[in-house]
Amino acid sequence: MTKTPLLEIEDLYARVAEREIIKGLNLTINEGEVHAVMGPNGAGKSTLSYVLCGKPGYEITGGKIRFKGMDLLKMSPEERAREGMFLIMQYPVEIPGVPVTTFLKHSVNAVRKHRNLPELDTMEFIKFVREEGKKLGISADMLKRPVNVGFSGGEKKRLETLQLAILKPCFAILDEADSGLDIDALKVVADGVNAERGEHNSLLVITHYQRLLNYIVPDFVHIFADGHIVKSGGKELAQELEETGYAQFVKEK
Amino acid sequence: MGGLLQQAELPGANIPWLEALREKGRRAFAAQGMPTAKTEAWKYTRPRDLQTDDFVIRTTDNDKKCCGEAGHCSCEKQEEQSLPFECYEICFENGCLQHNHLHLPRGVTVMPLMEAITENDEIKAYLGKSVDIEHYPFAALNTAYLAGGLFIRIAGNTKLDKPLAVLNRTHSCHENLFCNLRNIIVLESGAEAELIESFTYDGAEKSRYFNNIVNEIYIGRKASLRHCKFQNEAFKAVHVSLSQVKVREGGNYESFCLQRGANLARNETKVLLTEEQARAEVNAAYIMNGWATIDTTTDIEHLSPQTYSDQLVRGIVGGNAKGVFQGKIHIAPEAVKTEGTQQHKALLLTDTAEVDCKPELEIFADDVKCSHGAASGELDEEQLFYLRSRGIGEDEARQILIDAYLEDVFARIRSEKIKDWLVSLSG
Ligand SMILES: Nc1ncnc2c1ncn2[C@@H]1O[C@H](COP(=O)(O)OP(=O)(O)O)[C@@H](O)[C@H]1O
Ligand SMILES: [Mg+2]
Repeated sequence: MTKTPLLEIEDLYARVAEREIIKGLNLTINEGEVHAVMGPNGAGKSTLSYVLCGKPGYEITGGKIRFKGMDLLKMSPEERAREGMFLIMQYPVEIPGVPVTTFLKHSVNAVRKHRNLPELDTMEFIKFVREEGKKLGISADMLKRPVNVGFSGGEKKRLETLQLAILKPCFAILDEADSGLDIDALKVVADGVNAERGEHNSLLVITHYQRLLNYIVPDFVHIFADGHIVKSGGKELAQELEETGYAQFVKEK
Repeated sequence: MGGLLQQAELPGANIPWLEALREKGRRAFAAQGMPTAKTEAWKYTRPRDLQTDDFVIRTTDNDKKCCGEAGHCSCEKQEEQSLPFECYEICFENGCLQHNHLHLPRGVTVMPLMEAITENDEIKAYLGKSVDIEHYPFAALNTAYLAGGLFIRIAGNTKLDKPLAVLNRTHSCHENLFCNLRNIIVLESGAEAELIESFTYDGAEKSRYFNNIVNEIYIGRKASLRHCKFQNEAFKAVHVSLSQVKVREGGNYESFCLQRGANLARNETKVLLTEEQARAEVNAAYIMNGWATIDTTTDIEHLSPQTYSDQLVRGIVGGNAKGVFQGKIHIAPEAVKTEGTQQHKALLLTDTAEVDCKPELEIFADDVKCSHGAASGELDEEQLFYLRSRGIGEDEARQILIDAYLEDVFARIRSEKIKDWLVSLSG
């Protein structure tokens, strides 16, 4: 069976604030696959996720990225999202004055419009989002609050997961989705993410610890250090790493 | 001295006390002249472009020319727009009162100012009694031309069931129209009312005109006025407004002003909290572009113990526009146990946008709670990226954040329908 590549990163170099962070990264993710990228703090994992989503301020100095066969680096952040790229952020941003529902409605309708689906009116939308929210333990009250303002770590990650559920991306990146979560909250998020897995949907799970990979089991594990992938393997590599640590992969400074 | 002080034929020239008052206005303006860059109160908002002789004073004469004997403006205009909720509506077209029949409830008086002057001695107790024309040149000018405007009185313990809306519209039939209006608003003890003022244009997009408004507002014991204003004058227009408010024991004045038009606009609110438990909330929002200057000036004087004031002002400034906020809280020595807070925040959308802010606290009493804060900044890049990473287009994302910036000040409008109306005018 031939596999269809969803994301192809080729010899990528990227810098932020004049510093080269990603140095010669290669990674191909096919449809339906789950890849984990593991690396020590400060390795550039979040940088990679932002580069993929097109965050301003991240300069690409070399290499190529194709997403669904398209030149990803030519696309704006919103185009990438509409084409099905989604990032569960490590630190979701607080937006005072914007109720969750208002934000989600703009987001869902922007994506629906791009997919030639009719936009949802307010009543339809509220019904839809409440039902999806319920599955993740998100109350109607929480949906009325301003985006992430005063949310606990768990609530923030649940809101990210809700967006995943309603936007139905084909490629989701999880950046330290487990940071700051207790085991129960972690399970809710992992279940939410697993529910969206499918034949054509792929995941890139970025994590420092192996713990999350017990709940979202990867097909491939890559060790990321010094700006590129230093070793790749199956899920047993994560286990191995848990025992040995990153020291053997990090160059002496 | 500029060309704003002209000979004008005004009604009521045979009423000695009125003529004396106008003469006082003329003298006060002549003594002060037009504010210049050296005038402290006007140093950020220079009334440039007003030094000319070509302004046409609104008088009874051009009333007739514009509006005919029937009092209805005949110049071309679009469908008259009403507010999207029930209210008692009064219209001024080019400063000329339109004679609509209002079925006002008992205890509510609304009459043309000239009628009150000629028929109602009571007006003498209020007209010109609160405004310090020696220090407010435009109020002096307004006094020199006293004629147009309204006398509004809500009798003791009367609660107005619907908002009273005064809609001011300018049409293009006079170029350089200079219009002075004086409104006297009296709430007797225990009275309650909502007042809406709006200033818009219709077919006068490119007209240059000058609206100079003075409101004298008297709030009696335990009376409450909610005062909402919408200023969207044409882009070459000048709008200067002073609301002078006196609040007595337990009285409450709540105001909200949304400004988004005019080339040069100042909305000034001066509140005297003269007796215990008097309260004032002065909120404002401004949204601007192009080359406009929009000024929000407040001066709250706490003159008695246990008085309370709160001000929240939010601005959005784009293009080459300039926002100005001057906010003063004065606490007199006897005004112990008072509370005064003030907060101004502005969002700058371009590198050429500007905000000047002058907060002032004058505290002469002990045991008071006072605070002020001012900040200006740009749209948050992290928030913008978050929205865009969820598929929302850049322009839409910016608009969401701009709307959010004004959310807390709009939330202060107690009446949902007035709030919805003003929010719809802010986008
Ligand atoms: N906006 C930024 N400005 C300056 N340095 C940054 C910025 N973002 C990341 N870095 C630096 O880049 C390196 C990689 O950061 P990051 O991608 O967050 O690592 P990780 O997610 O693997 O912990 C770190 O040394 C960090 O300090
Ligand atoms: Mg990180």
